[in-house]
Amino acid sequence: MRFTLLLMLFAFPALAQETVSFQNDREGQSFYYNAGKINRALRDFKAEEIVEIYQNSIKGVEASKVCAYDINKSMSDAFIKKSPRFDSYEGALIFLRHWNHLDDVSLKILLDARKVSTLSIDAKDPQQLRKPDAKKIADMLKVVASFKEKFLKNGCYDEAYRNMVGEIRKVGDASEAELEGLYVEASKKKMITADVYNMLERARAGEVTANFLTLKTYSQKMKSLRLHKPLRDATERSDFVTQKVNKMKVSHRVKLMEQYSDLQIMMMADVVKRLRTRLEAKKVTITIFGEEEDVEVITLEPMERFRLAIKLLRKEMKLLSLNTYFNGRTPDYMDLITASYETSLIPAVELKELGGLQEIWNPTKTFWEKASVWIRTFSSVATIAIPAPYGFIPALVLVVIEATVGKGADTQPDDTVLF
Amino acid sequence: MKTSILLFIGLFSFQAFAKDVTMEALVRSNNGYPENENVVLTNIVSEDSFDGEFFKIVKGKSEDAVKFTDDKHVTFRAATTYYHLMKARSYFIEKVKSEYVSNIPKMTIRIEHTNQFSELGHFAHDNLEPQSNNALTIPAGKGFESRGVKPWNMEIWFRPSKKVNIKDLRVNNMAQQEFQVLLGQFRDQIHMQSLNRFLSNVIVAYTKEQQAGAPGPFSQESLIRTVGSSLILEAGYLLMDPLTKALSRKWYWLDTALIPEIIYHEYAHAALSDHLVLSHSTAIIEGMADFFAGQIADSPKLATKIKKYNTYNGKNAKRKQEYMIQFEMQDYANTDFVFGMLWEMKKIVGDDKGLDFMYELRKKVTTNSGIRNELVEGILSTCDDMCDMPFNDKMRILKALNLKGL
Repeated sequence: MRFTLLLMLFAFPALAQETVSFQNDREGQSFYYNAGKINRALRDFKAEEIVEIYQNSIKGVEASKVCAYDINKSMSDAFIKKSPRFDSYEGALIFLRHWNHLDDVSLKILLDARKVSTLSIDAKDPQQLRKPDAKKIADMLKVVASFKEKFLKNGCYDEAYRNMVGEIRKVGDASEAELEGLYVEASKKKMITADVYNMLERARAGEVTANFLTLKTYSQKMKSLRLHKPLRDATERSDFVTQKVNKMKVSHRVKLMEQYSDLQIMMMADVVKRLRTRLEAKKVTITIFGEEEDVEVITLEPMERFRLAIKLLRKEMKLLSLNTYFNGRTPDYMDLITASYETSLIPAVELKELGGLQEIWNPTKTFWEKASVWIRTFSSVATIAIPAPYGFIPALVLVVIEATVGKGADTQPDDTVLF
Repeated sequence: MKTSILLFIGLFSFQAFAKDVTMEALVRSNNGYPENENVVLTNIVSEDSFDGEFFKIVKGKSEDAVKFTDDKHVTFRAATTYYHLMKARSYFIEKVKSEYVSNIPKMTIRIEHTNQFSELGHFAHDNLEPQSNNALTIPAGKGFESRGVKPWNMEIWFRPSKKVNIKDLRVNNMAQQEFQVLLGQFRDQIHMQSLNRFLSNVIVAYTKEQQAGAPGPFSQESLIRTVGSSLILEAGYLLMDPLTKALSRKWYWLDTALIPEIIYHEYAHAALSDHLVLSHSTAIIEGMADFFAGQIADSPKLATKIKKYNTYNGKNAKRKQEYMIQFEMQDYANTDFVFGMLWEMKKIVGDDKGLDFMYELRKKVTTNSGIRNELVEGILSTCDDMCDMPFNDKMRILKALNLKGL
């Protein structure tokens, strides 16, 4: 027992010092794949050289200290040193993703960090800027002045900036516009150098505080997930999770990692695991217990079993959003499916079919179904507006739409089935 | 050893005796239309009649094969049934690899046969409602020796065609029913439109100053227009039914012995009878037979192209028919729902696997199975055994069935 404890004491620091890896172990074709950009990067460097530069930049970096901005700087410097004309850093990163040295999530973090670092800053007119409460501005400026020494020294750029903003907001309320004025004020009073001002303004304009996913938090999240839900098949890859999320600019997996904690991901995955078990059930019965020993057992038909599983899924999704751990966030079905794949509960080959289940409660509308809403509206007006003898035309159009597109929408509930 | 030699000699002589005969029969052209063609009837074991190794074509209750020299009306039907039955048999043996079919004893095929089937007496009495315009496959019977009824093997009976007035038939014409509903909706829409227009005219007349001489909503002209359009439509609606009857075909007949798909359908009943017993007509047994008939004919459409020989409203696997509880009942057992459903299942499990899948499915259902329960359960269970990716395929099946309204 004592020996085990001793071993753990040695093991934990050893784990803490583990170097990072963002090797892709789940994703198929990258969401960010761009052959043109990759080719541009390969014009100046051989594939092995890019890999070597990347590996050197993360070599010896501890998981607890990994920083996207540092990696970007280290790699970018190495590229420029070897080839001063090199201008396709983004292509090099996409190349690394294409060869699975990175995954889409880490790639996005690096790309976003690069975007913030290279953001152009407009010249400011101090007269036009808003400033925080005059009584608190002096204390706030002190916090800003300490950015480099107090915050940046001990952490990554984005983390340091977030901590500093947190500290400012402890002093008093400060909106984004007020922060902008605060940094200009600090610069004007020579409390910060021009370099520091640029760093702060880029972080503000790049909305660093809005994105909580950093390489460090991502690394911790993945470690926790892999520890609690080890991969069943390390060679498994899925193109499904790298597909674009509707109305967003990210893939399903990136969205999952950005928006949910490891615990939330595991809870979401369990919902899909239960769904799968129910879908595979060979028999489902409803048992009615009487006051004494009277028992009635109702066996569900196969399609009733299927629809019961869907109904229970919908119920559990709703309950999930009411769970304390979700803070009112309502995960959508595709988040659940992606989470179940991430935790190896659902194999890649089943994702598409399971994902397609949402068609049942949220069917995709065809062009004609969407158009029919407008046609119906105009036809209703036209029945009065169009004079005889052509008045029958809109009436005919309405009937045809009802008979084709609207079919099924008005179907009466079938009393011969339970679900 | 002696027995083996005798068997070998017997087999050799039998094979040597079987010959091919060329006769005129009805076949499908490449575009699905019926056409007369000289075809080769294989495995004929008689010198002068339609007596083959696996099928004997007889007329009515006779036990003697139809002679090649008989009336053309009979020989044409005998040649057509023989040719298509051989094709169906080969399909089950070569493509489906059915051991059961290769062991089915020689079948007697009756054409122009009007007697009803009796489980005890083989043929019901001649006077008991003679049958026409259909076909059926009957199970083997033990006979009734004391009454002179000999045992019989599985048989297929093709009835003669007979012109019947359409009004004497109980037809489940769903397409016409749907049209009637549409027409009813159109009528309601027009009536509502007339009312709307009248009310809007009234509102306009009492809220806005009218031009001098403009007809008011209660003027004779306006009332005639409003009521007139509704009356014209109502008259059209009421006249539609008699008009349809007057203009549509009044006579129905079906020469089953000349329709390849019906021949395949009946033989499919025989081929599937190791599990789907031939007791009575149900949605499952008919749907399964339809499926294999469609497979043999290599077409999802059954009998829809036949214009010359019948007016039978054929089955179409591509029809998006939604499930109705009535399909479970005998009156509707012959509708195309199960056929369409099985055809769709074949597409889901893959065309290459579909055939084996459906043949395996017969083991999971019985003649009395219901569509919604045992058939769906059977499909899912067969998928567990045969699909490449059972979970995925079952999901696709369940989604498709859900869309079918099951």
